[in-house]
Amino acid sequence: MSKMNRRTFVQLTGATAIAGAVGMPHIARAAGGKVVIVGGGPAGATTARYLKLANADIDVTLIEANPTYHTCFMSNEVIAGERSLESIEVGFDALKAMGINVVQDVATGVDGGGKTVSTAGGQSFAFDRCVVAPGISFDYNVDGITEADAEMVPHAWKAGPQTALLRDQIQAMDDGGVVVIVAPGNPFRCPPGPYERASLIAHYLQAHKPKSKVMIIDPKEKFSKQGLFTQAWKDLYGFDTDNSLITWNPASKIGALASIDVANKTVKTDFEDIKAAVINFIPAQKAGKIAIDAGLTNDKGWCPIDKATFESSTVPGVHVLGDASIAAKMPKSGYAANSQGKVAASAIAAALAGNDAPEPSYVNTCYSIAGKDYGFSVAAVYRYNADEKIIAGVKGAGGLTAVDASSETRAREVQYAYSWYNNIRRDIWG
Amino acid sequence: MKHGVKMGVAMTILMTGVAFSATTASAGELSAAMLSNTCDGCHGPDGTSAGPAAPTIGGTNKEYMLETMIAFRDGLRPSTIMQRIAKGYSDEELELIAGHFAAKPFGRTAEQETDPALVAKGKEIYDNLCEDCHEDDGRAAEDYAALAGQMMPYLGYEMADLISGTRDIDKNEALSSKERRKKKRNLEELVTTYGDEGIQAIIHFFGSQK
Repeated sequence: MSKMNRRTFVQLTGATAIAGAVGMPHIARAAGGKVVIVGGGPAGATTARYLKLANADIDVTLIEANPTYHTCFMSNEVIAGERSLESIEVGFDALKAMGINVVQDVATGVDGGGKTVSTAGGQSFAFDRCVVAPGISFDYNVDGITEADAEMVPHAWKAGPQTALLRDQIQAMDDGGVVVIVAPGNPFRCPPGPYERASLIAHYLQAHKPKSKVMIIDPKEKFSKQGLFTQAWKDLYGFDTDNSLITWNPASKIGALASIDVANKTVKTDFEDIKAAVINFIPAQKAGKIAIDAGLTNDKGWCPIDKATFESSTVPGVHVLGDASIAAKMPKSGYAANSQGKVAASAIAAALAGNDAPEPSYVNTCYSIAGKDYGFSVAAVYRYNADEKIIAGVKGAGGLTAVDASSETRAREVQYAYSWYNNIRRDIWG
Repeated sequence: MKHGVKMGVAMTILMTGVAFSATTASAGELSAAMLSNTCDGCHGPDGTSAGPAAPTIGGTNKEYMLETMIAFRDGLRPSTIMQRIAKGYSDEELELIAGHFAAKPFGRTAEQETDPALVAKGKEIYDNLCEDCHEDDGRAAEDYAALAGQMMPYLGYEMADLISGTRDIDKNEALSSKERRKKKRNLEELVTTYGDEGIQAIIHFFGSQK
């Protein structure tokens, strides 16, 4: 390695000569511009990867708090004991190999005027364009429970140790207990997620603790893919019978959620006290903390943006995408974040080159697995509607799997869900 | 194309919409890359799938892919999700997407488990029944789908649908009547002469190709 032959010597001196001619490269503006991305989840990592694919000369820094990322997608299979926590863990090595500067630190400030991102570790990163993709933070607005109680009452709505905690609690509970899932109000990350979770926990209980039940307490009167989930629950878990493994309890039926007694594992509504073996409280949500601190959010806690470029409506030069953004009518899903990352990357690459943003195209595809060989999906193809300033679904396209689809179709959709998972991981993190 | 007139009207409306937004919000019409990169989420980067089931679409013949997408859109080819997605695109957009993936390689990187005995049996069946169209051990992509290294569950689904008639060869407008007759004859011979094991064998043969 250290042996230097004549040819490498010439190459090295040649490179020095060129750098010298340009002059002090370490303070010169990067040839393709500098982009700093906050958050290494689906939105941030996709943007990083697609910026490098668009123009390898763009200097891309990705700031992520954790050394690895656990995908929320497929985490319900971990909770149900169907796959390992390791199987949903991804690293950043492939992004690093593309020349992306991956920094493990917590971003604490985004200065849109000074164009710098500062971190808890005392670092400062200058940018021409910034991407803030922090996902969600929680709003513990229910009596009796705070974020500190998540070690007792897991939310498992950010994957990782929380996912394992909920799995372990369910595996440790006695047969005959009730798993209470408290679903959040709209809008929230992964709209079908609580209902897929209920399905897969029921799948686990059916095999291992058949006298146990899953009870969903919901502030909403309807939910994502409702027809498909209730059909699945009828087909698999005796839904709507006296012996159903799953019950769904909207506020109109069971009363509004009043409080959670963490010590006694009791969920209290206006009408009932429910003694649980395991409580999975999924809190109300808003944009990740850094987005709030940086002044990127509106009064509801989410980030308004130009939906063609994902540039913030409040801080120019800063783009917000993924779950933190208001990207109506796209849902807060992993596929949406991935699709938005590609649109944002193309808009940023164009802006850095002094060009207009290209016309965007977006897609969402979301699979849910309700039991063995039982999957279904929703899809949408979107275009930017400049009149209404929304991401509008193309009329006549997209939609749900048919409620009366064959068992063969259901089984195939599970295999396509696993394919989706394997492929979107590579599309996001390389 | 029997949708000619209807599509023409739809296209005019769509193109007007695009042109309008181009002058107000952004730089122009949709590029092939912008339209196509949304496919990679399910089919893998550059259309090479890691499996287990979603097919690789990189390296697909352009005309074949365009015909396939139009068949999905028109409901002439069955699918789980592709009929719903294909309806989101005009003929011109589908042509851009097909061109994009035709220019990519057909990656054969996914690890698929194959049984050597079935692979050998499959090769024999391939030489007898498939080779005329799916040339070069299924690698050829000039006229028909490349099958070598394709995802095995996907090959299984398509074989099942072709045999059951859910995927109706007679509705494949891209084939001549002679080609349709030949494909139906060969499928029937596969089923009657070689049975379920023969179908598995041909899937293992294609799946084993690197």
